[in-house]
Amino acid sequence: MIRIAAVGDVHVDKDVLGRYRPALEQLPGVADALLIAGDLTRHGTVEEAKCMATEFGDVGVPVVVVLGNHDHQSDQQDAVSDVLRDAGMTVLEGDTTVLELHGHRLGIAGVKGFGGGFAGACASKFGEREMKNFVGTTEAIAERLGAALRGLDVDALVALTHYSPVPETLVGEPLEIYPFLGSYLLGQAIDSAPTALALHGHAHHGSERGRTPGGVPVRNVAHPVIKQAYNVYQLLTDTVDAGLTSV
Amino acid sequence: MTPQLDEYLEAEIQRLLTESGATAEQGITLQRREHRLVLGGEVESAQRRDEICRQITAHFPDVEIACDIGIVRAAAPSEVEEIS
Repeated sequence: MIRIAAVGDVHVDKDVLGRYRPALEQLPGVADALLIAGDLTRHGTVEEAKCMATEFGDVGVPVVVVLGNHDHQSDQQDAVSDVLRDAGMTVLEGDTTVLELHGHRLGIAGVKGFGGGFAGACASKFGEREMKNFVGTTEAIAERLGAALRGLDVDALVALTHYSPVPETLVGEPLEIYPFLGSYLLGQAIDSAPTALALHGHAHHGSERGRTPGGVPVRNVAHPVIKQAYNVYQLLTDTVDAGLTSV
Repeated sequence: MTPQLDEYLEAEIQRLLTESGATAEQGITLQRREHRLVLGGEVESAQRRDEICRQITAHFPDVEIACDIGIVRAAAPSEVEEIS
């Protein structure tokens, strides 16, 4: 059994320091790792990254993150990643990490992702250079995600993104902005490997649960969606313990 | 005089809330009522909620706003979901 805590869109800055800590102090008792699905900061500055490192660092379990669009706002994403890595977090962008947990190997592949939309209303690489670049960016990211997932040989495989791989977890958002919230290409990448769970954020008004066309469970863990410090998901289930009620 | 609460004003305010460094919020909903703008959504702190109202009032002093923006709860969970 592996238990994963997950949240996204925590948008940490100095004004929220300490808000998550009481819940995070309980983390080692209820989960084996914490995955954070992007938008770690408000404007993607080094100062905010330091706040993020303070709030979510040293929580007693491994912390694995991807960046979100907010973390790119100040063009300091590399420095932001460095601050988080210095705090002991694993920052994924097209690569993977493997955690040994209770004799099981949990593999995580992560990318920020990007937009483009979904079947029936997706953008195409056609016309203006800007449009080709937009769709091409998502294609390249999705290819890296698929290759990273397929390259892992583990007991449980998790895909971590900021943008959504499916439209189901966007329900609640205006239809008009779906192309800015995710892409079917991410779902296709997730379906190209034996993925057990896909986690994403970004859609604050979206829905919690969905599934890829290939059947992979998808969870939107954006903080305003889950409305608590983190959710806990159990993989490779034998028994439930840790005092949490199974649902 | 109260400005007309039309689509252009709504779009301007939506962009202000996202693009202003003071707010950087993409998840605030705006509902145009007859004489007032109702703000919805959730943010991470009371300061951020108050800043959103302050920014709108500073840029559009004649727009009457009602703020229904909440602060996202950050309690620990009591349940675990089995993924199958």
